[in-house]
Amino acid sequence: MFDPYYLQQLAIGLSQGVIYALMAIGFTLIFGVLNVVNFAHGEVYTVGAFAGLLLITAFAPPFLVVLFVVLAVGAALGFGLERIAFKPFRRFSDEASLKSRAMRESTLMSSLAVSIVAREGLEIAFGSQMQTLPFEYLINKPIAIGPVTIVTGDVIIFVVAALMLGGLQYLLTKTRVGLSIRAVSANPLGAKYVGIDTDRTIVTTFAIGSMMGAGAGILVGLYYGAIFPAMGFVPGIKAFVAMVMGGLSSIPGAVICALLLGLSEGLATTFISSNWADMVAYGFLIVTLIFFPQGLFGAGRERV
Amino acid sequence: MSLLEIRGLTVTMGVQEILHGVDLDVAERGIVAVLGSNGVGKTTLMRAISGIYKPKAGTIRFKGEDISKLKSHEIVARGLLQAPEGRQIFSSMSVRENLVIGGGAHGLSELERILVLFPKLGERMSQIAGSLSGGEQQMLCIARALMAKPSILLLDEPSLGLAPKFVKGIFDLVSQIRDEGLSILIVEQNAKAALRIADRAAVMESGRIALEGRAVDLAGDPRIVEAYLGGHVHTV
Repeated sequence: MFDPYYLQQLAIGLSQGVIYALMAIGFTLIFGVLNVVNFAHGEVYTVGAFAGLLLITAFAPPFLVVLFVVLAVGAALGFGLERIAFKPFRRFSDEASLKSRAMRESTLMSSLAVSIVAREGLEIAFGSQMQTLPFEYLINKPIAIGPVTIVTGDVIIFVVAALMLGGLQYLLTKTRVGLSIRAVSANPLGAKYVGIDTDRTIVTTFAIGSMMGAGAGILVGLYYGAIFPAMGFVPGIKAFVAMVMGGLSSIPGAVICALLLGLSEGLATTFISSNWADMVAYGFLIVTLIFFPQGLFGAGRERV
Repeated sequence: MSLLEIRGLTVTMGVQEILHGVDLDVAERGIVAVLGSNGVGKTTLMRAISGIYKPKAGTIRFKGEDISKLKSHEIVARGLLQAPEGRQIFSSMSVRENLVIGGGAHGLSELERILVLFPKLGERMSQIAGSLSGGEQQMLCIARALMAKPSILLLDEPSLGLAPKFVKGIFDLVSQIRDEGLSILIVEQNAKAALRIADRAAVMESGRIALEGRAVDLAGDPRIVEAYLGGHVHTV
């Protein structure tokens, strides 16, 4: 008989996977419009979690209010991040410099700098240890489904992520804002010729991507009851792996690879210690880079 | 007063000056052709008009307003659209999406009218734009610009890289669009075809307008015939 323990691990892996997916979308959207990796994305996740923590300790609002405030904070973070670390480097508007190597390298450094400042700032303000969350906010009440026991958090994360993914899909295919984002990703110069305000589209992309990152941060914080300044690092790396595996600019690719990562990590913990489960993600990355240099869903657009 | 009035337009790239004081006029409902060989600054001129490059000096008046310091999206909002060199369509998106994006605030209000001009595109609405043939991509590029209800259309080398049978189609289309009330500024290497549909023409040489006049006069000018129409003038 199939051991229900595996099903449980699959459920945990799925939650983990959708969290990686939310993070990976932020990376992928931003990579799409600017061809740059936003290294401060992990800190958006952390700051989102801390914003939720502060809100909970100060006002103790209902869960949904916490979530919506954190999403708003995420959008504001994305806006600020773009203005501080990306916009100042965009001095020329032709296609060659908009996606140039120089742009890529300078913003890589500037976003890394912002991420270090944010993480160290949080450590100075809160200390590097885990913050305690009020018990009633934790989303880990057990739910028994037959022989399998999952927690409320698994359901909540899955539902919230599904809503966000669905919302994003609607935005990107049906709205002017979303079409502008895709147009700038596809051809920034062409976008200028049809009258798209590329600067505004880029900052909107950062806001949307960061909203999803911050949302993922608070969900994970409440799921594990663990909020600390360095919490964004590992999910950031995993989401980066998912983006690379998915082919850098493919959102469906990133989501599928993120789910794959989460599920395989969940299963791996059955056989090896959870510390070693991280190896799975990096193993996938190495295999992808060696055998699929354009990513699994990259459709030959660009080498990773 | 001309619809588009360019005076003393100077554009530099780094230390190099590409355009040295270009003057050019496009009248209401007119077709103006800019001729010239590779590298004389035709595309730079077109990009400067659309706000992709910022001019160093000079003015570009459109409907009386100086647009030389505006951003590209502000210029498009005023009704100056360009079908740029290299087409610059969104090749990973569908034909319909390309047209919706082109429509901007106008949405799809122009779609029906445009599909009459470009029946081929109507058959390919859900196809990915990158899978169209070169001629169809050029049509899409022009159609996308027309979706925004422009009052002037700039065309940068619309016949570049197209099979001869498509070239005629494109030029017929351009005069048809003019007949519907648009002004057109067209940059072309195919001088013969351009002069046939144009009212006025200008010849660019190393960043300057070297000759300007009525298209019929230029078509008979020995200097033009020699340099661009590939033949000798036959005295009748």
